[in-house]
Amino acid sequence: MLDLSNLKVDIEGSRILNGIGLSVAAGELVCLVGRNGAGKTTTFRSIMGYRRARSGSISFEGADLTKLPTWRIAQRGIGFSPEESEVYTDLTVAENLELSTWTRPTGRAATARIEEAYTVFPKLRQYLARGGGQLSGGERKMVSIARALTLDPKLLLLDEPFEGLSPAIIPLIAEGIGSIRAMGKGVLMAESNVHHIPDYVDRIYVLERGEMMFSGTLAQAHRDRDVMRVIAGQIEVVS
Amino acid sequence: MTELVDVVLGGTFHAAVLFLVAAGLQLVFGVQKIVNLACGSFYALGAYFGITAVGLAIKLGMPPVLFLPVLVVAGLVIGLVGLPIERVLRTIYRRDESYQLLITFGFLLMFQDVFRYLWGATPRTMDNVYLAYGSAQFLGVRVPTYNLLVIAASLAIAVGLGLFLERTKIGRIVRATAENRDMAEGLGVNASKIFALVFTVGCMLGTVGGALVVPSSAASLDMAVELVVESFAVVVIGGLGSMRGALVGALVVGLMRAAAISLVPEMEMLSVYLVVVLVLIVRPAGLFGKAAA
Repeated sequence: MLDLSNLKVDIEGSRILNGIGLSVAAGELVCLVGRNGAGKTTTFRSIMGYRRARSGSISFEGADLTKLPTWRIAQRGIGFSPEESEVYTDLTVAENLELSTWTRPTGRAATARIEEAYTVFPKLRQYLARGGGQLSGGERKMVSIARALTLDPKLLLLDEPFEGLSPAIIPLIAEGIGSIRAMGKGVLMAESNVHHIPDYVDRIYVLERGEMMFSGTLAQAHRDRDVMRVIAGQIEVVS
Repeated sequence: MTELVDVVLGGTFHAAVLFLVAAGLQLVFGVQKIVNLACGSFYALGAYFGITAVGLAIKLGMPPVLFLPVLVVAGLVIGLVGLPIERVLRTIYRRDESYQLLITFGFLLMFQDVFRYLWGATPRTMDNVYLAYGSAQFLGVRVPTYNLLVIAASLAIAVGLGLFLERTKIGRIVRATAENRDMAEGLGVNASKIFALVFTVGCMLGTVGGALVVPSSAASLDMAVELVVESFAVVVIGGLGSMRGALVGALVVGLMRAAAISLVPEMEMLSVYLVVVLVLIVRPAGLFGKAAA
């Protein structure tokens, strides 16, 4: 469904992504793992069209995305939840969730799409009327992911969904991501901490200094010493 | 007592028109983050075009009571000039503020020559509309009915604009785009379209304001710059980017000016800018501005 190949991206003259390749199939949950500064966010922002590729290709359902403006990429059915959540503080939680149903009408009723987001994150029902500015980090993250979901996308891009959240809330988010995959949607998520990767991921890619150093299952990664040295840091090396 | 009512009514009338222009300025700043100095030109453009439109209406034999709606429609129609201007400004959205100020200032100056070319250098007046509406008795004071109608029209526009931004889908999308353009685009919003819409609406607020004011004063080459100076007072007092600020700021400036004209006419602008200086010292973000925005 999503295919990146030999993607090169420069930011202000320095190469951030040096010819990476990656693919996500329909209904697949793929995790892009790498340390801070490895290029995960740049990968996401390039897919969304915020950054332009120097060379290489990004295709979604066979169509080239590299020349499209961001809003058209979203319209094709890619829901994006950025690292900082970026929930609208000037809108209520309910309005944040409705927004995507207005911007991208699909065959499905808005109410059904919003209902779906509530089944993923039932807690959201409690603060619908609240302003986007009156939420905790975990609540903001739920709204941000739910808002990407109400776009009724075929693929979701979740940039570091667990970053900076309290340990208590991480399982809730992880569970939500699991049920999004269960709906048959493709998910590409970024993560810097290997211990946060849900064990139900289908495949992982490991990004290091702009290059893809590994692709395979989580179990395979755990057996790879070089990979573990990069993504598990000094914490532990599983042999 | 009658003098006080006079000042309040005169000030409110002025505030009503000032609010329209300042609201346009605020709307465009809120969404596009551009301080549009050309808002004064839109106001003058509305005034000149209003005169032409009423002249045409007279030729067509329309009854004078229809002149107010003719002026509103004229303001709305000529406000469409915002569309091509937005196309030009689009190139500098991501540039430094100084470029944006310079380019909108450039528009302000260019419009001056356009007015001179099309309508001549002498001020153009149109008192037939003013007289056609007669006057009304209000708290013991005779006031031109036209002024009351303009105050009502401006209030209606304020309420309509508020409802549009707060309650409609497009209004919420506009607010979302204003808060975070990149995220809006990531959610499928065509921000260029929203910008064109907002700028044109902002422009229309100015042109309608100008069209409404012209029967009570005149269309002249100075009015653009004069209004920019006053709108800035409104925006500083009310807070940059806030609609409520535009409303309150316009009332403060309108009433201060009317009071000064009635008491010490020479101090008209001084009184207004005294408030501006005070606000800048005590509450730099303005009455309704977000602190350190």
